[in-house]
Amino acid sequence: MKILVVEDNERVARFVTRGLREAGHTVEHANNGRDGLFIAASEPYDVIVLDRMLPGNIDGLGIIEALRKSGNRTPILILSALNNVDERIKGLRSGGDDYLTKPFAFGELLARVDALGRRSVDHAAERLLQVGDLRMDLLSRRVTRGSRTINLQPREFKLLEYLMRHANQVVTRTMLLEAVWDYNFDPQTNVVDVHISKLRQKLELDTERPLVRTVRNAGYMMSEHE
Amino acid sequence: MSRLIRSSALAWALGYVLMGLAALAAFAIPLWYAWNVTIRTGREEILRDDAQRLTEVFTREGVAGLTAHINARVGMQIAGERTLLLTDSAYHPLAGNLAAWPQDIRPTPGIRAALPDLPGQPTRTLFVETLLPGGYHLLVGRDLSRFLPLEQRFTWGLISAVTFLFVVGVVGALLIRRTLLARVQGIGQAVSAIMQGDLRHRLPLGGSEEFATLSRTLNGMLDHIEHLISGISNVSNSIAHDLRTPLAELRSRLEELALTRPPSAEAFAEIEAAVADVDRVMRMFNALLRLAEIDSGARRSGFVRVDAAAVAAEVVEYYEPVAEQKGVVFSFQSAGDAAVAGDPVLLAQAVSNLIDNSLKCVSERGAISVRVGRRADGAVEIAVADDGPGIADADKPKATERFFRGDPSRGTPGVGLGLSIVDAVAKLHGGVLQLLDNHPGLKAQMVLPVAALRAAP
Repeated sequence: MKILVVEDNERVARFVTRGLREAGHTVEHANNGRDGLFIAASEPYDVIVLDRMLPGNIDGLGIIEALRKSGNRTPILILSALNNVDERIKGLRSGGDDYLTKPFAFGELLARVDALGRRSVDHAAERLLQVGDLRMDLLSRRVTRGSRTINLQPREFKLLEYLMRHANQVVTRTMLLEAVWDYNFDPQTNVVDVHISKLRQKLELDTERPLVRTVRNAGYMMSEHE
Repeated sequence: MSRLIRSSALAWALGYVLMGLAALAAFAIPLWYAWNVTIRTGREEILRDDAQRLTEVFTREGVAGLTAHINARVGMQIAGERTLLLTDSAYHPLAGNLAAWPQDIRPTPGIRAALPDLPGQPTRTLFVETLLPGGYHLLVGRDLSRFLPLEQRFTWGLISAVTFLFVVGVVGALLIRRTLLARVQGIGQAVSAIMQGDLRHRLPLGGSEEFATLSRTLNGMLDHIEHLISGISNVSNSIAHDLRTPLAELRSRLEELALTRPPSAEAFAEIEAAVADVDRVMRMFNALLRLAEIDSGARRSGFVRVDAAAVAAEVVEYYEPVAEQKGVVFSFQSAGDAAVAGDPVLLAQAVSNLIDNSLKCVSERGAISVRVGRRADGAVEIAVADDGPGIADADKPKATERFFRGDPSRGTPGVGLGLSIVDAVAKLHGGVLQLLDNHPGLKAQMVLPVAALRAAP
């Protein structure tokens, strides 16, 4: 993917651009708001990673508004040291697609950038999700693996749907918390892990190939390949 | 002196004195005027009648008759009561008790009050002058000095009233000012003492009701400030102390890495551990920031109608697998409508913290029950009860303090902010967090009043 990173802190910028390049992406970097807006408007990108507070007369939210006004729909991940709920809502309302608080783990950033990059592919119209021999019918809410029907609680269904929609991508625990439970606080035990392991027990019988992998230091990935 | 002038007590008193003077003037001036007019008119009429009668005598009996009449009257009169003088056209006296025509009375008929300089005569006289046929002048006067003492008494009375008013006003003002100053200085001294760091100092409550009320209000404010300050200093101490541990670990880890330069596999493991240390510190910061956000009350603007039972049910569902894994009996009950005006995310976080605490401390095969219900007074109660070790009675008041960790929880994960957040959320919603004994275990319940519900959309 082609990614633009607009970040004025040199160390954070280096950490992010290097990591994204290592993950196989093409990365451009701007270290102030004016250049950031100029580059973002002049070339198409798959994802823009944008710091909220920037030098150069225009801050992160200003860039988002300017881009959205000109019809640019590039997914934007906002980076910010401001963590309270209002700031988060403000960031997302201004046209940002996701919000990540500093400091963050690189795995979290990478997973969110990947998720945003694929979002451009429209999933909404799909009625059938499939990963390997696991199928999910979104209309009848039926889940089968091979010929076996799997019974899921509503929340488990939502969890599995999210994992399947993001198949072959890493999803983090925070992403799951936000998407499946709508909790944006930090629960003190890793409850998400227990939910995943419960789901796994239903999805993966002893003889079956595992579908959900734990990705160290990051989260989970659903994939038909091992 | 300028302090005295600026003193509000003095200004008030002077204002009252001036008002008193104005009232006195408003009373005395019309009285004086009415009295003067009535008496003067009466006297003038008497004199005019007198002059009229003498004129009739003149018409009837001529100059000789009038002269005789006047002389007879002067002879009978009590000295000084009436002044009579008849002169010819050249003002030569013919009869009467005046030796000569008074210099300063112009020969024009009419009435006037004058103070003629007459040797041995009353000094203040009211005259009526009449011009008789044949050029004769008749002067009829009446001594007014008889009334002088009365007027003087009136004037003196007025002056003494004014003086009395003034003296009482000024002395009173000074006294009031002294009392006020003493009270204000008392408050000032107490406040200075407090500003210099003695936060336990309080204002005296004696004296007038007004000052007692003021003192009570200020004392209430001081109680609150003292509580906040001690809270802040406790928190800073705890932050410093609780951050020291992970930071010390982090530091030694990094320093050891730099010193020993271990093979890369080992080094990476150490680096990951270091990142975990940083994450722990960040978790504490996040919890503190969240607390600060709740305490500021800013979230209240986002209150909506929330079904507390639904919120709790979701959190229970979220923790269900964990309880199951631990073999804990986890039950949820809700009765009736549990709508409150609130912030759904914060309520969820509060319930989550309570369940999390219970899960951490109950033993395997323990029991946790969550209940949501409405009390008789309309308040919504969210209770999380467990059969774990509970909290010692002595620790209960401290349990919601920031970074407080009871002895049994020392070894468990967590930073000691969970109950602080629950407490803050309950307070934000106008409610309280109660920590009760569950015999055995702990029953933590949030009681949320329902008062503000109608205002929420």
